[in-house]
Amino acid sequence: MGSQGGFGQSKEFLDLIKSIGEARSKAEEDRIVLREIETLKVRLNDPNTSKFKHKEYVIRLLYVEVLGHDASFGYIHAVKMTHDENLHLKRTGYLAVTLFLNEDHDLIILIVNTIQKDLKSDNYLVVCAALNAVCRLINEETIPAVLPQVVELLGHQKEAVRKKAVMALHRFYQKSPGSVSHLISHFRKRLSDNDPGVMGAALCPLFDLIMIDVNSYKDLVVSFVNILKQVAERRLPKSYDYHQMPAPFIQIKLLKILALLGNGDKKASEQMYTVVGDIMTKCHSTSNIGNAVLYECICCVSSLHPNPKLLGAAADAISKFLKSDSHNLKYLGIDALSRLIKISPEVAEQHQLAVIDCLEDPDDTLKRKTFELLYKMTKSSNVEVIVDRMIDYMIRINDNHYKTEIASRCVELAEQFAPSNQWFIQTMNKVFEHAGDLVNTKVAHNLMRLMAEGFGEADDSADSQLRSSAVESYLRIMGEPKLPSAFLQVICWVLGEYGTADGKYSASYITGKLCDVAEAHSTDDTIKAYAVTALMKIYSFEIAAGRKVDILPECLSLVEEMLASHSTDLRQRAYELQAILGLDAHAVEKILPMDSTCEDIEVDKNLSFLHGYVQQALENGAQPYIPESERVGASNISNFKSQQDHEPSTHTLRFEAYELPKPSLPPNIPPVLASSTEIVPVPELPSVADILQTAPSASDARSSELKLRLDGVQRKWGRPAYSSVTPSTSSNNTVNVQNEATQRDSAGSSNSKVRDASYDSKIQQVEVPPEKQQLAASLFGGASKSERRQSSIQKMPKSQNQAADTSHVPKAAASRPPTVKTSQPPPDLLDLSEPSITSSAPSIDPFKQLEGLLDLTQDTTSQTAGGVGGTEAPEFSLFADMSLSVQSDSAANSISNVSDRNGLGGTTIENLVKSNKGPNLKEALERDAVVRQVGVTPSGQNPNLFKDLLG
Amino acid sequence: MGIRFVLMVNKQGQTRLAQYYEYLNLEERRTLEGEIVRKCLARTEQQCSFVEHRNYKVVYRRYASLFFLVGVDNEENELAILEFIHLLVETMDRHFGNVCELDIMFHLEKAHFMLEEMVMNGCIVETSKSNILSPIQLMDKAS
Repeated sequence: MGSQGGFGQSKEFLDLIKSIGEARSKAEEDRIVLREIETLKVRLNDPNTSKFKHKEYVIRLLYVEVLGHDASFGYIHAVKMTHDENLHLKRTGYLAVTLFLNEDHDLIILIVNTIQKDLKSDNYLVVCAALNAVCRLINEETIPAVLPQVVELLGHQKEAVRKKAVMALHRFYQKSPGSVSHLISHFRKRLSDNDPGVMGAALCPLFDLIMIDVNSYKDLVVSFVNILKQVAERRLPKSYDYHQMPAPFIQIKLLKILALLGNGDKKASEQMYTVVGDIMTKCHSTSNIGNAVLYECICCVSSLHPNPKLLGAAADAISKFLKSDSHNLKYLGIDALSRLIKISPEVAEQHQLAVIDCLEDPDDTLKRKTFELLYKMTKSSNVEVIVDRMIDYMIRINDNHYKTEIASRCVELAEQFAPSNQWFIQTMNKVFEHAGDLVNTKVAHNLMRLMAEGFGEADDSADSQLRSSAVESYLRIMGEPKLPSAFLQVICWVLGEYGTADGKYSASYITGKLCDVAEAHSTDDTIKAYAVTALMKIYSFEIAAGRKVDILPECLSLVEEMLASHSTDLRQRAYELQAILGLDAHAVEKILPMDSTCEDIEVDKNLSFLHGYVQQALENGAQPYIPESERVGASNISNFKSQQDHEPSTHTLRFEAYELPKPSLPPNIPPVLASSTEIVPVPELPSVADILQTAPSASDARSSELKLRLDGVQRKWGRPAYSSVTPSTSSNNTVNVQNEATQRDSAGSSNSKVRDASYDSKIQQVEVPPEKQQLAASLFGGASKSERRQSSIQKMPKSQNQAADTSHVPKAAASRPPTVKTSQPPPDLLDLSEPSITSSAPSIDPFKQLEGLLDLTQDTTSQTAGGVGGTEAPEFSLFADMSLSVQSDSAANSISNVSDRNGLGGTTIENLVKSNKGPNLKEALERDAVVRQVGVTPSGQNPNLFKDLLG
Repeated sequence: MGIRFVLMVNKQGQTRLAQYYEYLNLEERRTLEGEIVRKCLARTEQQCSFVEHRNYKVVYRRYASLFFLVGVDNEENELAILEFIHLLVETMDRHFGNVCELDIMFHLEKAHFMLEEMVMNGCIVETSKSNILSPIQLMDKAS
């Protein structure tokens, strides 16, 4: 059949195809298509068009859509064509409909009937065409309309029909598993169909089913193994052969299924070893398809219960892939390697240079695959090199999708394996700097939380050292233009919390920096909110410490500006800052004690601490409180309840109209975070949110938020007021910060251990030596943490094999080094020197080990100083710090009060003031501070109210 | 579900055949095709025949002026897909005799029919050339 002028096509059609093909530009192509659309609109509606002409027009419609133009005007003609008696026309009609419409299109309903009719046809080709359409057009609701017929067709005498019926059923399963759950057995039955095509088709649904529920299909292991064996032995018809491979696509599907069934199942795996091994030896590695099957075998082997012989064969195959010149094979080799190292990590050692080559290849695909491999083989000994590489790459690419992915991987690895605080902070800084707007906001929150909680378990000095180094690096970075918002938020928060903590920087310096940030990002309310809260913290620490506070003029003007802000959130923060500045040291210290972000907040919703006050007031002749519901002519302002019950009344202002604050905030995240995601008109009161978390569910809490305040009042006056609040919440609920915090993945705990231990091992190696060998050594060399590597003199190749041998040590053990510090050297310590001497070999010379045992600290420190040159030697400062900061920390502890000081302090005061209506603000505040542990009244959403009160 | 789409695009970037196994509207298809084609055209012969794009992996192969692009999800065997493309081409070759871009253009529906036989629900279901072609040949005879 010649290409030109295939039968039935008009010259017009040929010309169209040609002119589109010859179009010089997209604009020209578009012009042609638009003209074509006009022609088709006229022609299709012409009643005198012949059927075959019609078919051509419908195909021309297909072109119109393929080229990106809307052809919906002609859909109905395609639908009509499915009714045609002529098979060719009918199938073209079905084809066009499946290409035009998705299963939820309105026109589908017109086709279901035709499909039903065609499924009953005597002509099996018609049935096949209808089954094809079933797979594309039937949605969940129309499944019942065709299901009985499809099931019947599973037993059709024509194998082509059985095959398509299996796939139609598969489709129903994909769409709505429930609708065919009783028919699953048919798939099993079709597995033993006489026709290999039907059997091959049945593998598709079975693969899906096994993926979801392996255990129900273990009985089929024997069958699958048998089938695979027969396929490999060329029992299938010759027509399935492809490039001398017997039915390779079926083999691959079967290997995928076996991998699922044999995963973590020794017994099942043992049944598969022989056949998989046979196939691996039979594969011609000269053809692509042979390699494809081979690759699938490796995937299968790495999923099965380990078998040394097969693993050996897989490793051989991998090295063949990696040594190949073809990038495709290298790619597969890298991928296979990343699968295999889970079982036998030593395999990677042999291929270090090949991996480095792939990593440095200009081909992006290969590079990314290699990063994936590195990601999987990261451990504490090579994390620095790997993450640095990743970040370098991340900085260079523009593809935001991948940038996001690699950034979150960097963060994950850094959190998991960070060898030191400085490194961790630096890494996070880089990630934030270059991809801050792409990473999940959670990452920023996690960083702040980490900073607040610290990594070390009992080691306060490490925490404070971490914080100081963070502060230092942030002060350095924050001047740079175009920092992502999320990063600046972290910076502001950390500066607020810890900016002045170590006494290195003066308050005026830090506040100046904060004002600069707020000024430079005057359009970003979130950053401004963070900045002003940070300012508030710094000033209150100053006040509390009894120092005289000189407020910078720019800060004053900033506050001035925020007082008039449109954002109520900013306004509230500004008022809070103002209020705090007016208080004395004693009060401020109670409101915002130093370093207590992680302290628990205890909340007494009953406000029992006010009982005495109320009692006194009553005795003095004050009016008792009447719940609003019982009041006659309740005032509009406080009439929340009635507004919630009735439709919004016409004559009142709607006070409840604002969206309520989200109650589900992690409690120990500072208040600003709340508003960082959404700037709601209502000032965010995280304290409210926190308290509300005690309510059974978030939605519950929301709905009762406004009432809750009144609930606090309820018992005070001893009257049943509002029934809406669950009684359980009125008991002393502790918002347990610590609990929430520990929700962080279990890795967290081990992390901290790793970090804890790695404080000792402070040597950093940032630069990657140019030589590949060195890179390889740093990537692969450190097989396990517990290795002793003091011998920096030895050259690497000699000891490589030894390293390979020891690399079996499980990672878990590696990442949990003993925390003993004095008598016994932590293995970590020895490890530390390894990255610094990238060129040096991982070796296990017993003498060297002994050496290491004897003089660990001196040795390492001297090495640090000598060997690393450029990098700081944090060892000294670390130990020096320890004693110092322990002192200061305990001091801080002694003054710190159990209280919430995430900047909520201000809010709470005002709340209290409001509810008190007390004449003496300071007195009230102090009283508040004393009983803070027991009671906080969340209320007061209107800053103006406070303004009046506070003057 | 392994295969997400099959595209044939000429080296000017014009889509010649498009079959999606998941629904994308016209606009989404247009952007996706544009981005992918740009990516693939920029690559050299020596580089991998695989490209990551968003959450797809695109396996592509060039025959003269025509690119065959298959979008798959992560768990698919890329090399096997590459050979699947070749199988498709071999099948078309057998039917048309030394197939060229214009054959596909003039017999678009037939190219689609072959694909329909080979891939259903995003899975490769038929790889025997005679099984793929027999319904098409029968149909030709009938009409």
